[in-house]
Amino acid sequence: MRRSKPLRAGLKGLAAVSFIALAAIAGAGLSSADDKTIKLGIALPLTGADAADAALIQHGFEMAIDEANAKGGVNGHKLEMVVKDSGTATAGQYDPAQAATNTKALVADPDVIGVLGPEMSGEGKAMTPILSEADMATITPSSTNPDLTDPAHAAQYMPKGKPVYFRTVTTDAFQGPNMANFYKETLKAKNVYILDDSGAYGIGIADAFQKQAEKIGLKVLGRDQLNPKEADYTTVLTKIKQLNPDSIYYGGVNQAGVPLGKQMAEVLPNVKKGGGDGIYSAEFLTGVGFPAVEGWYCTNAGPHVADDPALAGFVKSFNDKYKSNPNDYSITAYDAATVMIDAIKRASDGGKMATRSSVRDAIQAAKIKTLQGEVSFDKMGDINDRTVSVFQFKKDDKFKLDDSSHQIGYIGVAPQS
Amino acid sequence: MSFLDVFIQQVINGLSIGAMYALLALGFTMVYGILELINFSHFNIFMVGSFVALLMMQAMGFQGQSLILYGLPLIAILSFVLLATMLITGLLGVLIERVALRPLRGVAGTAPMITTIGVSYILFSLVFQTQGATAKNYTNPMPPIHWDFGFVTLRLREVLVWVIAVLLMIGLNFFVNRTKLGQAMQATAQDQEAARMVGVDVDRVIVTTFFVGSALAGAAGFIFGLYYNYTSFLIGYTAGLRAFTAAVLGGIGSIPGAMLGGLLIGLIESLGGQYIAVRWTDVMIFSVLVLVLVLKPTGLLGTAGPTKS
Repeated sequence: MRRSKPLRAGLKGLAAVSFIALAAIAGAGLSSADDKTIKLGIALPLTGADAADAALIQHGFEMAIDEANAKGGVNGHKLEMVVKDSGTATAGQYDPAQAATNTKALVADPDVIGVLGPEMSGEGKAMTPILSEADMATITPSSTNPDLTDPAHAAQYMPKGKPVYFRTVTTDAFQGPNMANFYKETLKAKNVYILDDSGAYGIGIADAFQKQAEKIGLKVLGRDQLNPKEADYTTVLTKIKQLNPDSIYYGGVNQAGVPLGKQMAEVLPNVKKGGGDGIYSAEFLTGVGFPAVEGWYCTNAGPHVADDPALAGFVKSFNDKYKSNPNDYSITAYDAATVMIDAIKRASDGGKMATRSSVRDAIQAAKIKTLQGEVSFDKMGDINDRTVSVFQFKKDDKFKLDDSSHQIGYIGVAPQS
Repeated sequence: MSFLDVFIQQVINGLSIGAMYALLALGFTMVYGILELINFSHFNIFMVGSFVALLMMQAMGFQGQSLILYGLPLIAILSFVLLATMLITGLLGVLIERVALRPLRGVAGTAPMITTIGVSYILFSLVFQTQGATAKNYTNPMPPIHWDFGFVTLRLREVLVWVIAVLLMIGLNFFVNRTKLGQAMQATAQDQEAARMVGVDVDRVIVTTFFVGSALAGAAGFIFGLYYNYTSFLIGYTAGLRAFTAAVLGGIGSIPGAMLGGLLIGLIESLGGQYIAVRWTDVMIFSVLVLVLVLKPTGLLGTAGPTKS
């Protein structure tokens, strides 16, 4: 016999209520049993095209956290990482929808009091509204889209009013324009054609580059957008060839960047070409490969410290632990975790209970020496240091062709405006 | 750089992409002609083809573009890899038909089509999990020869794409029109029941169709790698969708229609990108498709199929 509808609905409701009650009891029991452990969410695209670089970032977080735990934790609290993968097979790279789902899961876990990540600005845009509601801060070591911390977009990315998105790198509001200065002043380019890859990061950095280029008299010959799911860019490159430009700037990540780099070498072998930190990666190096990748410039939204002799100890222990060299974003990741650990310490000094809000406030007030130098944040959550470093892909036969720390050579700091 | 130079260069670009779409469209159209089934696994058989050829060349010791061959050895290697890839992807197509589609033969509705979508995702995920997500630098023994005519550049790889595509299409045409099995295929496409009554082994025809269609997709996958010097597990989707559009545009079920449709889509892509904007490519392609279907629902070269009773 089938039960009548109202009765079934009633039973369902009852079941739900008792489930919530049970969960609350279980949750309370757990947190009181283990209140010596503090959880940190790790949000990174560990599946898909961004995976290799995401792993280098994850290792940076992990090193700092393991070191803190080895010293007995933070004020006696052990740190535990809750790793959430925001990459999906269908997207083939980071997936903002998955990033949002993961963030909700982190917010729903009462023991998680802070987040480290994400790698990509597209993830960040999906995460910030949810984090803001929970007053939980995240520190990103690599995502550079300016909107996330722009007062003009505050209603969208910080609906509760306080910044929750902190960065240990500067933004594309400096990365793009400083590279435009580099094109004009160092490369002596007279004109440029600008491309982006239709992603949040790509459009943002290309816009910022374009605005500065127009301001300093670097003639913009045109602008077009690539579809990253497409393979053929010979059409747009032929169109660009016809304009006979000195230089090309590409705002975007590897998915469109790799085929672009390949085809650029065929159609436009002699122009100056560069991009942002989206192509400062091992994948661009191996995917495009020599000789096609030779000569490409790229930037990093922070100072270049991986080769600094002062960091030799860090590089060595990283290498011993993970059998690979850290890149600059492993270092900013280590710094992000360092800032987070320091903030938890200050929020829990004197036996206080660190909460999401008190950790957020402590990050905002941070002033701490890290591997890249002193880190402090402005009132929107951006790092006060605005150095942008320039690199160039240059074949070095002494090292393996896929060794990104040696095949991508440091050129210098891009001129600031 | 006159208007004409740019136009010719974009036509060269368009014909090269178009030739690839055409090879891929043939597989869609042949299977549809016989089974009235849209085979979505075709998208990723193409992608698997590019990986099969890549792994084969790596196994033979080629890495990236470091080893360049000329003359006869080049032709021998390319033909060998091409034929072996076609054989393997052809067998993959046969396997898919045998395992996933034959049990559903005669099932009405969308079940077989949904199955092909499932198979497509299985292939996609298999390559993704085993080969990784990063774009692969394609092994390519071809010398970077090109001929310049003022602004216009014609590269050896474009000539190669055309030569392979034309040879395969001539071969297909010969097979369908001049061989017994090809004629049995045409008979089955016209009326399966009647063909069976006059003694055509319909199962054999279907297996052959899948073999030939998938082999052409494998060839397109190899050509893709040689042409662009890279491959990735993602390449099936956009190319597959455009090729499917090409098949519909040309008239699904019609072999010359698929060839024409492929070339047209390639030209729309390159000339539209040149004279309008690259970001509007998809809008242009699909607008042309809608227009053609509104004005001529059977596609450019399609004929209204006999109503199934």
